[in-house]
Amino acid sequence: MWLPVLFLIVGVLLGLLTDIRVPEEYANYLSIAVLAAFDTLLGGLRAHLEEKFDQKVFVTGFFFNVTLAAFLAFLGVQLGIDLYLAAVFAFGVRLFQNIALIRRYLIDRGRIKKNKEKNQRK
Amino acid sequence: MKLRSKIIFSFIFALVGFMIAIQFQSNQKPEERDTRDLWEIRTELQEQQKIQQQLYSRITELDEMIQQYEGQSQSEKVATLKQSIVELRKKAGLTEVEGNGINIKVKPIFQDLDSSQSYPTISPALLQRLINELNTYGATDIAIGNERITNISPIRDVNGYTYINNHPIPPLPVDIKVLTQSPKRLLDYMQVSQSKDEFAIENLELSITVEENMTLPKYEQMPRLNHLKVDENTETGES
Repeated sequence: MWLPVLFLIVGVLLGLLTDIRVPEEYANYLSIAVLAAFDTLLGGLRAHLEEKFDQKVFVTGFFFNVTLAAFLAFLGVQLGIDLYLAAVFAFGVRLFQNIALIRRYLIDRGRIKKNKEKNQRK
Repeated sequence: MKLRSKIIFSFIFALVGFMIAIQFQSNQKPEERDTRDLWEIRTELQEQQKIQQQLYSRITELDEMIQQYEGQSQSEKVATLKQSIVELRKKAGLTEVEGNGINIKVKPIFQDLDSSQSYPTISPALLQRLINELNTYGATDIAIGNERITNISPIRDVNGYTYINNHPIPPLPVDIKVLTQSPKRLLDYMQVSQSKDEFAIENLELSITVEENMTLPKYEQMPRLNHLKVDENTETGES
């Protein structure tokens, strides 16, 4: 698990060092894209813990979700509707669900480990 | 997880990190830097000191007034109260005032043009700009025609006519009387002011003269004090 975390840190550092700034009118798109990316990441993590991880689903999901979210935001701006809120809502709910499932899985795993240790001592 | 999946997973993690960093940076507003040099700061300081002086003198004045209010005899108190009422009425523009100042005569300019020219009028925006400028350069009291300008005087456009204090201003030429502590200085300022050019664009000429002992009319109507309320909680007049 340390490799992705390392890469995350590298990505953040790279972003900070390059000093790229998105113009203010596009900040909305990027924020929604970041949210979508988060959602996909947590989804992938969850799938991995459940041992259902599919590389193809994960990669396509990431790019598709990010593009779709940005497109929704764009469409909303053109139509004068805050459509990006729909994306925020949907991704937000899924984020919470995924995090909850990951937490439960980790707790369960911890419990199983403890029980095993107890049995071994006996 | 297979190594390949792991690498892809990590790569996307890095991408997300990159996006977050950019988003974070974009949201960070560049801090505003103070680029004033020493002289600008000095002049600013001087201005602030001047304001401080004025405030101090105001405080002393008010302290004196409080002492007078707290004076011994009843008659003294009444006298002070009456005096403050007179002063406040004067400040609010409810009395006639006399003093030295400048007289601005607004006259139409007629040019030798073949096309017919309409008789120029003063627009509210022009008047407002002129009044702002006069106030900036130290005017204490202003009257346009027969209308005294107070702090709450409205200047409006009503069906194409300019109204001050809900009365239409007379046709040109109109006299604008301005009282000030230093008429000569105000005259100099107004001679080179922006207003002169702006009036000229509208075919209006400002001829400015210094006058002594001018009398400004008082504000005729009752001032509307919608936002003032009587404080009923504290008892007054008894000590």
